[in-house]
Order: sequence, then structure tokens, then C-alpha cells
Amino acid sequence: MFKLNLKIALRNLFKNKVYAAINIGGLALGLTAFVLMLLYINHEESYDTWSPDLKNVYQIREKHAFFTPDNKEHWNEISNSRIANLIRTKLPQAIAVTKVDNDWDFIKGYSLKIDDANPVMMPKIKDSDSSFFKVFPYRFLQGSEDKALENPKSIVLKESLAIQLFGTTKVLGKTIKVIRWRSDEGTSLTVTGVVAEPKYPQSVSFNAITRTGDRDKDPENPTNNNYCLVYTKLNKSSDTLVLNQTLQKMYVDFKKNLLSSQKKSYNDIYKDGRLPGLKVIPVKEVHANPPYAMSWFEKLKPVIAISAFLLLVSVINFINLATAQSVQRAKEVGVKKVLGSHKTQLTWQFLIESALQSVISLFLCIILIEVVLPAFNNQFKVDLSFWHNAQLFAMVVQLFGLFVFVTLLAGFYPAWILSNYNPVSVLKGNYENGLRGIALRNVLVVFQFVISVTFIISIGVMQMQSQYMSNKDLGFERGNLINIKSNYEDNFAERLKKIPGVEYVATTTQVMGNTFNVPEEVKYKGNAINLNTVTVTMDALPALGVKVLQGRIFSKEYKQDTINTVVLNEAAANLFGKNIIGQTYGKVDWEGKTNIFQIVGIIKNYHNEGFDKSVLPTVYKVTGLGGTSNTNNLLVRFNTSKYNDVIGKIEKEWKALYPNYPMEYTSLDDAFSKSLEDNNRFVNMIILFSVVSVSLSLLGLFALSTFVAKRRTKEIAVRKVLGASNLQIVNLLNKSFLILVIVANLISWPIAYILIKKWLEGFAYRIDMPVLPFIAATIISIIIAVLTVSIQARKAAVSDPVNALKYE
Amino acid sequence: MVGRQIVLRFKRPNLQPSAFLPSTLKKMIELKNIEKYYANKGIKHYVLRHVTTTIKQGEFVSIMGPSGAGKSTLLNILGMLEEPTYGTYEFFGEDVTTLNERKRIELYRNHIGFVFQAYHLIDEMTVYENIEAPLLYKKVGSSERASRIANLLDRFNIVAKKDLFPNQLSGGQQQLVGIARALAAQPSVILADEPTGNLQSTQAEEIMQLFKKLNQEDGITIIQVTHSEKNAEYGNRILHIADGVVKEDVLVR
Ligand SMILES: Nc1ncnc2c1ncn2[C@@H]1O[C@H](COP(=O)(O)OP(=O)(O)OP(=O)(O)O)[C@@H](O)[C@H]1O
Ligand SMILES: [Mg+2]
Repeated sequence: MFKLNLKIALRNLFKNKVYAAINIGGLALGLTAFVLMLLYINHEESYDTWSPDLKNVYQIREKHAFFTPDNKEHWNEISNSRIANLIRTKLPQAIAVTKVDNDWDFIKGYSLKIDDANPVMMPKIKDSDSSFFKVFPYRFLQGSEDKALENPKSIVLKESLAIQLFGTTKVLGKTIKVIRWRSDEGTSLTVTGVVAEPKYPQSVSFNAITRTGDRDKDPENPTNNNYCLVYTKLNKSSDTLVLNQTLQKMYVDFKKNLLSSQKKSYNDIYKDGRLPGLKVIPVKEVHANPPYAMSWFEKLKPVIAISAFLLLVSVINFINLATAQSVQRAKEVGVKKVLGSHKTQLTWQFLIESALQSVISLFLCIILIEVVLPAFNNQFKVDLSFWHNAQLFAMVVQLFGLFVFVTLLAGFYPAWILSNYNPVSVLKGNYENGLRGIALRNVLVVFQFVISVTFIISIGVMQMQSQYMSNKDLGFERGNLINIKSNYEDNFAERLKKIPGVEYVATTTQVMGNTFNVPEEVKYKGNAINLNTVTVTMDALPALGVKVLQGRIFSKEYKQDTINTVVLNEAAANLFGKNIIGQTYGKVDWEGKTNIFQIVGIIKNYHNEGFDKSVLPTVYKVTGLGGTSNTNNLLVRFNTSKYNDVIGKIEKEWKALYPNYPMEYTSLDDAFSKSLEDNNRFVNMIILFSVVSVSLSLLGLFALSTFVAKRRTKEIAVRKVLGASNLQIVNLLNKSFLILVIVANLISWPIAYILIKKWLEGFAYRIDMPVLPFIAATIISIIIAVLTVSIQARKAAVSDPVNALKYE
Repeated sequence: MVGRQIVLRFKRPNLQPSAFLPSTLKKMIELKNIEKYYANKGIKHYVLRHVTTTIKQGEFVSIMGPSGAGKSTLLNILGMLEEPTYGTYEFFGEDVTTLNERKRIELYRNHIGFVFQAYHLIDEMTVYENIEAPLLYKKVGSSERASRIANLLDRFNIVAKKDLFPNQLSGGQQQLVGIARALAAQPSVILADEPTGNLQSTQAEEIMQLFKKLNQEDGITIIQVTHSEKNAEYGNRILHIADGVVKEDVLVR
């Protein structure tokens, strides 16, 4: 019986080739999107699961205000380095505690120099103490866990780095010089170990772990603090709630001691219910719970929703086409019933048919995944693989689950409809019951089109917002401007200024790509105003090409500019009020002295971060009065657009001065593109999904209209004999679908409006909600739906009525 | 699927290849006061009224009457495809007026074979598979299945067509397959609604000869609906129906 059913299923597939292809192909696409998501989720969930020993490893998190985005207290991954010692000495369960460098945004890497070879920049070189490999159970290919970091001035390489640097993993005893900044003399470290790359990704990822000796001790002066990641391994996995209570008690004592040695009072700081905080979280949960950024799951939510929708659209096609063709199968059901078939047997038969199709789609999907995975990896900056996946078995189980789910979802309803046919009415030639499922089919078609139209509207608005952003006036000239990763050093700067083609050399703490905000509070006419302070050199504002709105910007001609003048941006000026050029304000410095500053100019706001953030009210100053700050920005403005040769000359100067550290720079054009990158990636993905979803819905509609036209062949023939024109018949078929598409549009509008509004609110600089995409989506959806249906309807309309009538 | 055997209160008829005298035969079908109406806007439209009759095992009954008289309805009731609105129907002494699905399927598998005017072969199955289908439902072993099908194909002269699909056959050939399929499960009765309605007279004659032979040589009870006086005479009894009432019940010859 099973064999025969399978045979019939195959014959049916061949008989309805187009229909089967649409069904299977569509489902394969839907599945592919979904399986990619599965792969990605599995990847993200696999963080820090590479060794069973990791279940006893915990990350320490401390509540503090150091380097938090808003300078207020939050739970942080980085903790005061003294906490490592606290845990080591006071927590008996702790077998090992280690301190290790955090991934700082502003450190792209260190320069590695081997003998006389050219230096190479290498990211993720992290300094730690002797206990790192006691906490993290890496497998040593060379050297051993207990010996590797026994002595300071040692370095342990990842297998891949060893091979990249030396071409082999047999590198014990070799020397690598690590240069951490431009003018660093460098530290020579001896390779004492090589560890294998674990199967799964790690939240503390590294290319090399060094023990320079810096992490061995904490700052001696109690007012100096050093922040780093702290991890501990306990003797058994513990209840974090209980553990955290113990830690909290320990920490309060620790904090009291620390504050009293800093000559501060614990009770002054922690009052009104404010409490210090220290806790652990299992290392496995670290990746899913980043302190500030959205967790991967939050970020992925819209994508998960979209791929689920895509799968749904293809499943809907499946259901619609199956119920539509049920008319053809009705006779088979009727006959089988009078031959003695149970209803359940028939249900099984139809389920087998949908299972057959899902199996084929699943295989297609696996092929598709292989094809699109490289692009996907590129897009999401991951390295996923289907076949070389450590979780292949789990994947196969998930795929099987998905297969069963899709088969039931897609096959059960049609199977139920079909097996419920009443034999008498069918055998009497009365197919009225074939109309069963039409209501559901209509609902599903509407649903499909709601998804598609919402997508079309969304990409319309998203495109408009993207256009707006890439054309928006940034407030500075981003062309012919590069930013060298270096602070301002007079000798080097002077040399650069002599190179023909170089117009300005300057530094600022605020430029697109690298911004270091220093908050301050000033007093103006008795009011406190919160500002962001940016330290610049004389040439920085001209180098950026900012626009002056009132007054002037800094210049060498004015002696006063090195004493106490400031320039405000528009946002800051608005906080001060009108007619402020020449006015002064005061700022109390850390010693309690009030410094007076004079406002000499107002510039147009210029963007230095993505458009999701508004430009902060900012004060620019050259003077060192009230303290300065600096970061690694060295702006070079060229007076020619063919500046590649000039850069070559700059590099030559660099090499002469800093032979151990390679020069790095970005053009401001690139920095700008990078600020748009995340958004563009998201928009591109939405566009891709929309195209797939819309095409699937149209294919579904196409197939559906085929069946409807077929079912009505006789009616069409009769109408033609009675004198209906082809056009009238095409309209007849179109009408029923057109109503569905219009209903779908009406439903989509509010949904799209709400979703898009929310998306736009994520941008500080955004377009007003446009009407055009809504109207365009409606017109487009109607036009393509009509075209799709008309192709089929025309075919039915122009066919010779005699054939249809003779056949009956 | 585990076949659930139900025990009916009768034995399989002992079929003998010779003609029977109707009076000595066992009662197969007993209809008492069967009524069937369709209610439309509160008005009952009677299709069948007070139909009371008995059909014995081995009879060959033809039902005749004008169009719309209720012949198909009666046959459907006999085949348990429809339920009467009133009256009782006994099949081999058992009340089958209302049956649950499981019991009805049991009867289809073992006792009743249908032949349709529109043949109703399954388009996706070959001739062979069409004939095989009821045997699969009946869970007949594969060797037994093969020999029965071979036998039927041989008897109906369609061995050469066994791998063709229904749309590759003529109407008459399709009806032969339809009959072969009905016979495959070795039913006690064959119900045929205008089996030759779509056929030319020579083909129709062939089918009628076949029915006669099946009835006389294999002892299979046959009940057919027909419009043709000539076809009706192949049987041994004719029920004339008009306006839902049995007007005449005559024995042939
Ligand atoms: N579902 C139904 N609802 C209402 N009336 C019905 C229904 N099915 C059949 N009838 C009526 O029952 C009557 C008998 O129909 P039936 O099919 O038994 O006629 P018939 O004798 O087989 O006619 P023919 O020789 O044309 O096949 C007809 O008048 C028909 O209109
Ligand atoms: Mg009839």
C-alpha cells in the first residue's frame, strides 16, 4: 500500500510539474532562510561550550561608572583588577582566578616583530597573568598548561597565529617583540606554548595570550585603578544566587577598605539605598548578555521573525495549491472509499505526498545553503558551515524536526479536506464540495499578500531613509581627508606639513570613526550647562572644513586662542541662548578653581557618529586651560584628490621615525561608509527577503489561478458559447483575486506604518513618514497580481470551448 | 493499519457454477418501507416512498424507470452510500440502515462491488493497480493478489493493457476494468448504476453478457440500473420504479 501510494504521489508530481516545482522550490527557499537562521542561532548558542570544564568557570561583573557610555553606574564586564585578588584570597571555592585584557574598541591590535622582519599588526593579543590557562582549559599542542605562563615575559600562541608567523607550530623558545603603541620600545616575549583552536567560539577570544608581568600586580596607589576582565574557576558548579550573596558581602567590605584608603567615606557615596555590586555569571551566558550592546538574540529578532514569515509564505503556497487541486483528486477519494479505504488511510496517503515534497525541498535546501552560505557569512561576519559543523548531529535532528513540522503544517489540512470528501456527491459528479477550503484559501492568500505588501512598503521607506542619510550634509568635507592612527606629535606633524599636497595636519578628539567624548559642566549667567568637550589643534576645524555660522574659528593670528577662547557648535549655542559671541562662561576645575572661557564662534553641527545618534552640544578649544584630552587621531587634509602618492611619502616619513610600528589610516570617506554599514546590511537583507517573499507569493498566486482557471474550464466554455469575449472572461477570473489583493493592502498599511515608524525612530536624523511607498506598494501589488492571474486566465479564455464541452 | 475483522451473522455463500432456483435461495437484501425525501424550504420532496422488497442471493435484478424516478437513489441506499430517511434495510439478516464507518468499510471490502456509469477508474493508477487497489485494502497476500489479478485480466482479455493508464483505454475497456476491479475482492453483490450508459450498443452487449455469465456461473448477485429494455432482459427480475414507488416487480421469462 505504502509503495503504491508513493508511486501515485510521484505520478501526481510529474503530472503537475509546474505546480510541484513551485511548491517544492518555494518550500526549499523558505526552508533555506530558516535553516540559515538555525545555523546562526546554533553558532551563537555554542559560545563557550567547547569544554565540559567551562561549566565551573564564571565571569566577574562589577557595578561601577568607569568608561560607561553615560558615565553613570552600571554592571560591567570589566572589573577593578584588585577584585581578582579579593576572590583568590577570600572565596574558598575558587580554584583559580585570572585577569585578562578587555577588547577595547580603540585598540585595533599590537605590532608584532620577529627578528628583523617587517612588523605586522595583529589584533587580539591579550595580556593576562599566570592563571589564564588554569581557568580556561585550552588544549596545548606545544608546551603545557602549568608551565606556559609560569614566568613573566612569555607568550602563548593560537595554532593559527603560530602558523601565520612561523609556518609551523614547533615554535617553543622563539622570541616575539610586542610593540603596543607607536613609540613603545616593545617587550620581547618568549613563546612558551601553542594552543589548539577549540571547536566552538569563545567570548574571550585571542590570537595570543601574553604575560608581560603588568597584569601580575595591581596599582600601588589606592586612587589608581586598573580595569580588566576577571574570570574564576570554582571547585564545583555552584548556585549563582547563593554565590552572589557571598560575593556581595565580601565586596562591601572590600569597597569600605578601598574607599577609606582613598580618603573617601563609604557612607557618603553609598546612601539613599545605593549599593555597590559584585556578581558572577557563568561563562556560557557571557556572550548572550553583553552589558551595553544588544545581545545577539535581540539583534536577530527581526531576522528570525522575517525568516519565519518566509517559511510561512511557502507553507501557505503549499496548502493553497494542495487544496486547490483537491478537485482533481476528489474522484480518487470517492472511489477509494467505496473500494473499502479507511479515512485514516487516505489521510496518510496525502500526508505521504506532502512528505515526499518536503523531503525533496529539504534536499534542495541543503544544496541552496551550500550555495548561499559564503554570502551569508560575509554579510553577517561569521564563519558558518553546514557539513563541517561540530553540531552536525544536532542540526540533522533539528532538520528532521523541521521536516515533520512542515509536512504536518502543509499536509495535514489538505489531507483532512481530501479524505473527508463524501463519495456519493463526488461520484455523482457533483464537485460542489470541491469548493471546500476556499474560505481558508482566501484568508491565506490575503495573509501572504499582507506580508508581501508590508515588505514592499518597508523597503520603499528604508531606501528613502538610506538615500537621505548617504546624501545628508555631514557638516564637514569628508573628501581628501584621512585620519592616521596616531596622536599629534610636533616633529612628525611638521615633517608632514612640508610634503607638497598636504594642506593641513591637525588632531581632534572628535571625528567620524573615532570619537572620545569628555563631559563637563559649565556655568553661564548662573545656569549650569552640560557640554561635551573636544580638544583640537589650531588647524583642526579648517582641516575638517566645518562651516562657520557666527564669529570665527581658531587661527594663529589670535594669541588669545591658546589662552581661553572656545568655539561652540550649534547644538551647544542653542543651550546658551542668543547673542553669545564675545560672552564668557566659567568652569570649575578639579582643584576647585574657576576658569573663564570666551566664546568666539559658532559652527554648524558636524556628524561624527552614525545618524542614529544626535550631535552632542559640544565646545571646541585649543587651550590647555581646564585640562585637555587626546586620542589617536591625526587628520591630514590634502589639496589634491590624487593623494595616493602623498600617502606614500607620509608612510616613508613614518617608517623613518617609527620602524617597529606599521602606519594605519582610514579615509573619512571610508569612515562614513562604515557608519552606514550596519544600516545598509539590514536594509539589504530586508530587500533580499522581500524579493523572495514577493516572488513566492506571486508564484503561489500563479499556480492558484491555474487551478481556478482549470476548475472553471467548463464554465468558461459555456460562457464563451453564450457569447462572452475573452476580455470579459479574463476579468471574471481576475475579479476574485483582485478583491483579495486589495483587502491585503488595506490590512498592510497600518501594520507597515507601525513597524516603519518604530524603525525610523531609531534614527536621530530621519525623513518624515512618506506616503509614496504606501501608494506605490498598492499599485505594484495590484499590477503584478493582475498580470499573474491574466496569463492563466487568458490561456483559459482563448482555448477552444468545444474541447471542454465534449469532454464532459 | 490493522484490519479489524467484524463477525457478521452469516457464512460466505457457497458458490456453485450452476443456475439456482430463486425460491430456494437465501435472503440477501431486505428493504422494509424505505422512504427518502429532501426537505427544501420546509417542503418534503419525496424521492422514494414505501419501498419494500427482498432480493435473494444469486438474483440478477434490473431497476428501470423514467428519469428522476429515484433509481440511483435506491441503488445508493442499497450500497449504503446514502441513508434512507425512514424504513429498515437488512443485509444478510443484519440491520444496516445506519452503520458506522468502520462497519460500512468492512462491507465494502468483503461484500459489495460498485460499477459506475462514468467508470471512475483512478487516473493516476494503471489498469493493474486499479484492479489491485481493493485487494490491498482487503489485505490479501501478494501471491494471492497476483494470481487473482492475472485471472481477471485473462478472463476479460485485457492482459495487454495492464500497464496502461485509464485515459489510454476506450470507454468499453475502461468499463471492463471497472468490473474487474469490482470483482477482485470477490463480492457477494455487484451494484451497477447504468454501467453501459456511456457505451455503444455492441460494447454494452458485451458487458451485459459478462454480467449474465458472472451471475449464472459464479453465482454473484447483480443489481443494475438501466434505461434499456434489452439490457434489463439479461437479468431475471425487473423492478419498475416511477415517482419513487415500485410500480411493478416482474420475473423475466
Ligand atoms: N441532494 C438532493 N437534493 C434534492 N433532491 C435530490 C438530491 N439528489 C437527488 N434528488 C432528487 O431525487 C430525485 C431522484 O434522483 P435519482 O438520481 O435517484 O434519479 P434517477 O432515477 O437515477 O434518474 P436518472 O435516470 O436521470 O439517473 C430527482 O428528482 C432529484 O431531483
Ligand atoms: Mg440515475
